[in-house]
Amino acid sequence: MKYKAVGLFWLLDVAGAALFAWGLALGVGGLVSSGRAGGLALAALVAGALCRGSGVVLVHRHAIAAAQAVADGWRARLLRQFLGGRIARPLTAGESATYAIDHVRAIEEHGARFQPARLHAALGPIAVIGLVAPASWVSALILLATFVPFLLGMILAGSAARHASERQLAALSALSGLFVDRIRHLPLIRHFAAEERVSRQVAGATREVAARTVAVLRAAFVSNAVLEFFAAIAVALVAVYCGFSLLGLLPFAPPETLTLAPAFFALAMAPEFYLPMRRLAAAYHEKQMGEAALGAIAAVLPPEDDAAAPATAARFTGLAVRDLALAWPGLAIGPLTFAMSESDFVVLTGPTGSGKTSTLAAIAGQIALAGGSVRDAAGGRIAPESIAWAAQRCLLLPGTLAHNIAIAAPKAAPEAIADVARRVGLGPMLERRGGLDLAIDHRGSGLSGGERRRIGLARAILSGRPLLLCDEPTADLDAVSAAGIVALLRDLARERCLLVATHDPQVIAAARLEIAL
Amino acid sequence: MTAPLDLLRPGAAIRRLLRLAALSASTAALSAILLLGISGWFLTAAAAAGTAGVLAVQAFNYLIPSAAIRLLAILRTVTRYGERILSHRAALMAMADLRGRLFARLAAQDTRVAPNLSAGDASGRLIGDIDALEDLIVRQPTRPASLIAALTGVGLAALAGWLAALLLAVMLAALPFLLRALAARLTRAPAHEAAEALGELRRRYIDFAAARAEIAAYGLIDTVLADLAGPAARLDRARARLFRGEGAIAGFLACYGALAAAVVMASARGEPPFVALALLAASSAVEALAAISRTAFRQASVEEGLRRLAVLLDLPGDLRTAPVVVPGSVALRFGPVELAPGGRIALTGASGSGKTMVLEALAGLRAGDLPIAVGGTPLAGCDADALRTRFALAPQDAPMLAGSIADNLRLARPGVDEAAMWHALETAALAERVRRAPAGLDTVLGEEGGILSGGERKRLSLARALLAGRPWLLLDEPTEGLDAATERGLVANLRDWLDRTGTGLVLVSHRPHPMVLARERLDVAELVRL
Repeated sequence: MKYKAVGLFWLLDVAGAALFAWGLALGVGGLVSSGRAGGLALAALVAGALCRGSGVVLVHRHAIAAAQAVADGWRARLLRQFLGGRIARPLTAGESATYAIDHVRAIEEHGARFQPARLHAALGPIAVIGLVAPASWVSALILLATFVPFLLGMILAGSAARHASERQLAALSALSGLFVDRIRHLPLIRHFAAEERVSRQVAGATREVAARTVAVLRAAFVSNAVLEFFAAIAVALVAVYCGFSLLGLLPFAPPETLTLAPAFFALAMAPEFYLPMRRLAAAYHEKQMGEAALGAIAAVLPPEDDAAAPATAARFTGLAVRDLALAWPGLAIGPLTFAMSESDFVVLTGPTGSGKTSTLAAIAGQIALAGGSVRDAAGGRIAPESIAWAAQRCLLLPGTLAHNIAIAAPKAAPEAIADVARRVGLGPMLERRGGLDLAIDHRGSGLSGGERRRIGLARAILSGRPLLLCDEPTADLDAVSAAGIVALLRDLARERCLLVATHDPQVIAAARLEIAL
Repeated sequence: MTAPLDLLRPGAAIRRLLRLAALSASTAALSAILLLGISGWFLTAAAAAGTAGVLAVQAFNYLIPSAAIRLLAILRTVTRYGERILSHRAALMAMADLRGRLFARLAAQDTRVAPNLSAGDASGRLIGDIDALEDLIVRQPTRPASLIAALTGVGLAALAGWLAALLLAVMLAALPFLLRALAARLTRAPAHEAAEALGELRRRYIDFAAARAEIAAYGLIDTVLADLAGPAARLDRARARLFRGEGAIAGFLACYGALAAAVVMASARGEPPFVALALLAASSAVEALAAISRTAFRQASVEEGLRRLAVLLDLPGDLRTAPVVVPGSVALRFGPVELAPGGRIALTGASGSGKTMVLEALAGLRAGDLPIAVGGTPLAGCDADALRTRFALAPQDAPMLAGSIADNLRLARPGVDEAAMWHALETAALAERVRRAPAGLDTVLGEEGGILSGGERKRLSLARALLAGRPWLLLDEPTEGLDAATERGLVANLRDWLDRTGTGLVLVSHRPHPMVLARERLDVAELVRL
């Protein structure tokens, strides 16, 4: 169901309020005229109560369904993009989870709380005016008249609040960034005995954000006070007008003849006029968080694919990287230009954090380039099916070891899987742990880091893909094992195109070309 | 609350703000009830007087009620504003204090035994979980206000007879219990289920995100999405139930207010104007009590926040004043090798043999049971101060705080001046580069135009270690990522600096040239085997 329909359920709430007000008017009128409130008045009160209650329940029920339909769409899209598609800049796993999980939740809250309230705010006051007018058109006019200065006040206070809250969102995310940064570097801070100084700095920044938040809230509360003031004034004016009209003491010719029951109805409905706006104001926080989430998501989704890109190459004939550049806050890489033949061995080197893995990912088409191009030697685009990736810490899916090695080649024969496993040096492990049927879980329990890396390498080799991207194949391995892997890489370079990110001198020595970042 | 309250208890200034906020909240609640009640009374009395004839109208005092109505409208607005601003200021100040104190407590831990919180997790606690507590403080002033509103409502209902007042009192007294029971029944289970499903989804997602390159390369996304679908659907279901539960409670409250009015109407005796007053007062008293319903809603998330913060609250100790006095140098013993103060040693060994681990153990960054003695004390027996006042580490990954170049250099030691910074940068062969940077020492790292390359970051980290002025320097791959000429210059500068200051050196380098700095070599494999 769409948000529009959800907002309509709020009208049930308005109808309930009207029934309730009518019951009050009828009862009080009856008390004055006959000394008894009467059964009809009581029935109207109870019916109004039930009507209001069910309106609220229905709104919630349908609002969450509509909001989740929208949020699920975003989640499906973001999961696909962040886990399996191209992104604008590399994200840590935690950051990525913030986008795909927390921001999607903010979008859901926005849909569930703000969207229905917005429709309610548009339709509710009109409905109230329509109900009050037949009872006392002057009261309806009074309500409308308070609405004009109210709107002006809201526009002024609201825009001040918006500016202030934008500044505050920025300050808050800066504070959160400061916390993450200083906590991440606590070992360094403690090492230099600087914890007291840094704590003082952090405490100062926290207090500053608190002070700034108070300023923002003041602006927000002023706009709230404008709302409250007009809601209260509307009640007061209707009460005073009706009272004087009933007394016959109006200082001008009475425009309508008023009796108690309609006057009481108008009074009881007066607070309902501003209620939808107050509900909307209560959902303002969700509105902001939802919009901020959408903005943050847009910033990490990559630009559309280049329409002028050439057709995909039919067969991999070598790699041609020209002026490849990557840039995002904190890191700039390139421009890099190099070419590789169908059977080649090139290493990417540089200290930790210099962007080796990101460069490999950019070549694999997983990260948007800031400039330059990655093409097949013949000039076409490289087919995704030509690229194999051997990760530092490979993906493990629940199943057997054979299944995990053959993830990228599901039709591989058991003998071929066993061959590859031996080739990457998994032989001793297979003998020890009972062969390729070894059960693997999500976490890869019981596998060492080295074994896990070998599984990734075996998977990449078995895939038979001609371009092999390897991320730190020898990191954390002992010298003998590392030498074994280097020999294997040398061997593989005779049959495929091998691009390896490493800082291991042995691997660098085995390569044809070193590209230093 | 059973958590350590000394850290959570707000200070005197904040408690004063909260008392003022409670006063404002009570006045606001009172004005809201009286505004509607007196309006109803005024209307009904005016109608009665209007129909009773000219004399009755002339005897009717309309000035006081009509003035009161206008006054109450303004009073309600002003006090409501006061309540909001005061309670939020109190809450924000309290939370800022708490964040600062918790960070300090976290910082005061010994890295070797500190709880293993990831940065994201710890900052999540300091930001998100503390926010949940903020709510607790903001709502504090509404409690006395609700009580006063309820009492006023009952008092006004008494104008319509004792039976109406009694019935309303019973309904109001029952409301908090009903709300708590409803909240427990409708929201506790889904809140717990949602937290569990969210945790499961996040755990699995983070595992997959770490393997994203392979998922993208091999087109495994559909398998991965199928795996995530379970917890995602569980999360959605739980959150929908939670939201519907919230709706049911809100619907219940809307009914309850109107029913209270119906009960008062059915049981009212007395003059119609007073009955009108009682009717409107009854339904707005229920509305004022609704603040309690929000307390009931949020209870689950507050408890969850406290539970997660407990890990930090339970950490021992408070911030000590950091030792600023650098003690004299000491001798080091690496297994069989004895090093006098000012000695220079290179640790060798294949990659992965534990060279970095030895440096980190000396720097007090990790616990290590190694055959190393510092000034005659075995490494494992040295306290954190004994290590960090003697060693200055330039780590392999050259971590930099978010901030300017000067911020990072100042980290080394209190009171570092600009001249000292430039001197250290000269030694680290980075001065020229920093001079060219847009804002010199104030260049913010990571910002556009102020980006350092990997090699430059390593040299900045080296300059920082030099500035610390400790008797021993620990260098991990100091020249990685440098061209040969810069490397030679840097090594020459370092040699001069070591000669001049008499500082000792423990070096790890797989590049051959820096090895000329060392007078002795030791294979780490030997050390680890011992």
